Amino acid sequence: MVTVTINVNGENRTATVPAETTLLRLLRETFGLTGSKLGCDVGDCGACTVIVDGLPVNSCLMLAGQADGREVLTIEGLASMDRVHPLQRAFEDCASLQCGFCGPGVILSAKALIDEIPDPTIPQIRDALGGNLCRCTGYVKMIEAIQKAARDMRGETVETSR
Amino acid sequence: MRAFEMYSAKDSRDAVALLAKHSITSKVRVIAGGTDLLADLKFSAHSPNVVVDISRAQELKSITETDEGLRIGALVTHSRIMRSPVIQKMFPALVDAAHTIGAVQTRNLGTLGGNLVTAVPSMDSGPTLMALEAEVSIEGPDGRRQLPLSEFFLGPRKTVLKVDEILAEIIIPRRNIGKPTHFLKFGLRKGQALALVNAAASFWVDWEKHTFVAPRIGLGAVAPKVIRAPQAEAFLEGRKITPDVMAEAGLVAANDAKPISDFRASAGYRKNLVAVLTKRALEGAYALAKTRR
Amino acid sequence: MDKKPKVAEKVSPAETVFQEPSILRDSTVIAPLVEYPIEVVVPKARQQTPAVGQRATRLDGRLHGLGQTGYIDDLKFQGMLFAKIKRAGVASARIKSIDTKEAEAMPGVMAVITGKDIPCNAFGPSLKDQPVLAHERVFHAGDGVAAVAAVTEQIALEACEKIKVDYEVFTPVLDPLESLKLETPGVHAPSANIYQKKFIKKGDIEKGFAASDHIVEGQFRTQMVEHVPLEPHATIAMWDANGRVTIYSTLGRITLGRADIASTLGIPISRIRIVATIVGGNFGGKNEITTEPVLALLSKKTGRPVKSTFTRPDEFIASTTRHPLIMDYKTGVTRDGRIQARKIRLVLDGGAYCSWSETTLSKACILSAGPYNIENLYAEAYVVYTNKTMTGAMRGFGAPQVCFAYESHMDDIATLLNMDPLDIRLVNAFNEGSISPTGQKLQSVVVKESLLRAAERFGWNGKGNTNGGAKLLPKENVNGNTVRV
Repeated sequence: MVTVTINVNGENRTATVPAETTLLRLLRETFGLTGSKLGCDVGDCGACTVIVDGLPVNSCLMLAGQADGREVLTIEGLASMDRVHPLQRAFEDCASLQCGFCGPGVILSAKALIDEIPDPTIPQIRDALGGNLCRCTGYVKMIEAIQKAARDMRGETVETSR
Repeated sequence: MRAFEMYSAKDSRDAVALLAKHSITSKVRVIAGGTDLLADLKFSAHSPNVVVDISRAQELKSITETDEGLRIGALVTHSRIMRSPVIQKMFPALVDAAHTIGAVQTRNLGTLGGNLVTAVPSMDSGPTLMALEAEVSIEGPDGRRQLPLSEFFLGPRKTVLKVDEILAEIIIPRRNIGKPTHFLKFGLRKGQALALVNAAASFWVDWEKHTFVAPRIGLGAVAPKVIRAPQAEAFLEGRKITPDVMAEAGLVAANDAKPISDFRASAGYRKNLVAVLTKRALEGAYALAKTRR
Repeated sequence: MDKKPKVAEKVSPAETVFQEPSILRDSTVIAPLVEYPIEVVVPKARQQTPAVGQRATRLDGRLHGLGQTGYIDDLKFQGMLFAKIKRAGVASARIKSIDTKEAEAMPGVMAVITGKDIPCNAFGPSLKDQPVLAHERVFHAGDGVAAVAAVTEQIALEACEKIKVDYEVFTPVLDPLESLKLETPGVHAPSANIYQKKFIKKGDIEKGFAASDHIVEGQFRTQMVEHVPLEPHATIAMWDANGRVTIYSTLGRITLGRADIASTLGIPISRIRIVATIVGGNFGGKNEITTEPVLALLSKKTGRPVKSTFTRPDEFIASTTRHPLIMDYKTGVTRDGRIQARKIRLVLDGGAYCSWSETTLSKACILSAGPYNIENLYAEAYVVYTNKTMTGAMRGFGAPQVCFAYESHMDDIATLLNMDPLDIRLVNAFNEGSISPTGQKLQSVVVKESLLRAAERFGWNGKGNTNGGAKLLPKENVNGNTVRV
């Protein structure tokens, strides 16, 4: 068993879990944050993507113990109670998601990209999404939404939800 | 995944001590970035009892230039290699190679050391380092030992590492600092692809005679381990740099390669790829040499 | 509209047979006379409705982006157990014995079942040839032979390994063309390997070939494809004290599924409640039941909710896939490219079980000639059993495979005739009112207009194949004017 304390979405959370528990299972099953998805469990599909210490990673390829003391951002941490993130707003407006399963992973990869490159080109967006598989949409509207969100974020637009 | 115990090492010495202690009684595996290990363990019958986590060993995460050469810590991730100003300037080929590995998420976790230790013949980091005559520094209970990368690999998924040793650093010798190098990977798609063939070429230019000086070629996925292309290198040494010579060197390199046929490609197709990629890698290195002249 | 719809007065045959009691003649029980609107409006080709081209907001878009959509694997219930299916790993075998004692004795294992625990171990959308868990025979490597419910997924997996199965292994039938031969042992003996066929005959192909200047033959093959929905199959089953089972599932066709679960469990449909939530991709791969009856039985045995999810490898070996097709085409054309006759043979690799093969066969056969006016056509299509992953529904149901064949074939013919591939299609494509291979008169036909519009849009320069491409095409002369590409 390992005991880990992780700062998840701004809140320090502690758990004691079997050592072989991945960060993905810790988030989903112990912390009840089911936004990150299990698609393949071997780091190919990216549905489990979360942001650890500012970098997007496959949470299915990280042991819970390796996340001890780190900062983790999941999809649940992107929106606040009264405000959706511009990416979430853009994905909704552009109808970028269909079944939605890949969505949280894609949005977090996109957030990490825009945080590093505020004005990404289409090749840069494609490269950033290279680890997120989508079987429904063909990515076209995702790229559109990411460009739109990047523009909004550079113009510092604040959207209120609902 | 099956159950195992995990011990987190504070530094490399601690890691070695943990390996030495637990490998007596248990089956032990090392986890760094986890991108190879965990993918392997998820659906595998052979699972370890103990996993030693070395990912916190800070002293294995630096990139420094010393008298000996460029020292890259084994725990440097592929994305850090891509971002390193030193490596961008000196060895853009290493940046290119890192960029072809997996995707953003795997590059943020996966380490250079891990890529070498996993030792699949199609590894993307090996050929460039082979062409640069890199050495590896291994840490064990008795301290460090150093050997050429070409002696590190024994075969598919086999290296000289003993159960109580870890790969600590990769050193590119001083004499090769700034040597123009180019790397190319051929996969069946642009992202998250396994290499069908990898090729790296590295050489100095004698600008007076316009000839190849110390040409080195590294090839991946065409033998049980990453190899050099000795016949091609011998062919190029001292020869005039022309497109025809580069093309012919590619054909010679195809003879150095011993690829197999599998469901991804036939041996003949792979040999063809070696010829083309070697030629293009030579062209790329030459283009880089011209910019640095 | 102020005209009220009318319903014809109900005249029951029974009323005229016996003397009805006077209560039936009471005017209050007879429905008022109303008329259905019987004129059917036939839309003109290309007539647009106001909705087309409008932007519509997806209702689930916001939830997806927030990560709030609840897929089946996101649900959990008090006391829930986890189930794993032990898969055969051998393509064709007879089960001599299954020993579950060691697995059942493991701490944390709450129940183990095998095929013999299934009340009626056969289901399927058309032919009921698929067992819930293997009965005595294993027909493909992904066949489930046993199932375990345990307090954790890890324990369930370990328990599966402790189940010992003794197999008598047979040589599997893997090549559909081998399976087509009468002398090949039946995969589901004594049933034949060809489990469905379809024929289309129109005109006289021999006459058509005789009138052709060139005859071109070609064989096309497509491979087995897996849907790979991002969300793997997932199911949760639980019972209440009234003997009613509630099943949460990624299953797409829940009414069909309900019928299959009722028949395999031997309980009335009214006792089965299926809850399907937003699915993470289906594409046809979640059209029939998989583990639902197994989980229902495990839940009944343990008295607790039971969840099971497919792993990604399970998705490849134990869920339906797209039929591979082997398609032989023979087409006779005049030298200006007009098709005189077409002969087609389709062999569908029907996998271990029928699943949706009958529908796929039908579609493939009917569409196999392509959208072209062909007076003389003969198409025969067969689906055969093999000891491979069952082939079922996947977007297109047989259409994508034949489309690849007839369009590639058309390109080959164009190359041989040194014709522009666009021109040869314009010569042969359906028009308004064309008759399909199965005798349907087609309306709203815009094939040629679409081709021309598309060619204009992507700048087709009309130079395809007019510069000697025929020389480069690998081909052999069969006899006379017949060429095999």
